[in-house]
Amino acid sequence: MAYRLGNWLDERVGWRRVWEAIFLRKVPEVNWFFTLGSASLFVALNQMITGILLTIYYVPTPDHAYDSVQYITTQIPAGWLIRGLHHWGASAMVVLVVLHMIRVILYGAYKFPREVTWFTGIFLLLLTIGFGFTGYLLPWDQKAYWATTVGTRIAGTPPLIGDTILRIIRGGEELSAITLARFFGVHVWILPATLLILIAFHLYLVIRIGISAVPNTKE
Amino acid sequence: MSEEKNINRRDFLGLATWGIGGLISLGLGIPAIIYLIGPALKKSASQNWLRLGSASKVELGTPTLFKTSIERQTGWISSVEEISFYIYTENGRDFVAMSNICTHLGCRVRWIADRQEFFCPCHNGIFDKEGNVVSGPPPRPLDRFEVKVENDQLMIFGG
Repeated sequence: MAYRLGNWLDERVGWRRVWEAIFLRKVPEVNWFFTLGSASLFVALNQMITGILLTIYYVPTPDHAYDSVQYITTQIPAGWLIRGLHHWGASAMVVLVVLHMIRVILYGAYKFPREVTWFTGIFLLLLTIGFGFTGYLLPWDQKAYWATTVGTRIAGTPPLIGDTILRIIRGGEELSAITLARFFGVHVWILPATLLILIAFHLYLVIRIGISAVPNTKE
Repeated sequence: MSEEKNINRRDFLGLATWGIGGLISLGLGIPAIIYLIGPALKKSASQNWLRLGSASKVELGTPTLFKTSIERQTGWISSVEEISFYIYTENGRDFVAMSNICTHLGCRVRWIADRQEFFCPCHNGIFDKEGNVVSGPPPRPLDRFEVKVENDQLMIFGG
């Protein structure tokens, strides 16, 4: 029954070819370090789902941010779990993405013909850090407030343009409602949109080119 | 007895992937649903006796509007909300307390003295002075509340 339904759908949309290209492609004999990219993708998926769920209750204004986060954590059933998954997932994502990058460096997998894959990967790393930076402010507690005060001040250290950068990031002189709102907007709209496009391109290249083999000293 | 089905490595790994993936999806999916419907499962504020004001203010034979405020906790916000009731009496001893919320779709009704009827502006629902439906779409009379008088003070049970 399921098979016939699959056939019916395949005749119309041709999903089997896509499925085979993604999941049944040929790969060289590799080791567990080659799963770090998939692990990053899995955590990214976790961040998207739990992040969307958090926006159901979270309100990005100084009046309500802290209270709504406390409400999620203590009042909403399973709220602690959803927030916890998002919180720890964020750290896990940074760790996994960096490990993934180290594997690519050590195995020389960034070389021809995979340079573009590598460059998109660099931007994905920067995006991940951007997610971490903007997300850190959102609970609007003391740690968030002062971490972002310091973080934005660091962004303001370059000579000449530093002050302008600082003002653009904060949306003014001080950390304010504007800062919180724009960090939220960047965290839930700009970064995810960019991330999805870049992940799609990154994966397309991985599938099109195929993954590299473990370097061999005998060659 | 020893009718063992041989499963090859490929099929086993495929099944294991679907199985573990399914478990993870359930592990996140079920809490997600509970999380989403959580506030709907919470009981609303407890009811108690509200003091409306002096019973002598109620005009005989005319529904009179009383306002009072209650404190509501919604999510992480507690706010003071003003609620209104119509009190009706014919003899000054037996009181009827009615909600001013139309039983059709929740708009507020008001007493039109000229026509001696409650009128709901949303869909032209009309109730008589005791809250019974005269015409229009409302499915039932205006909701009533338990009412008592203590030291000339009107009290109703609600929340």
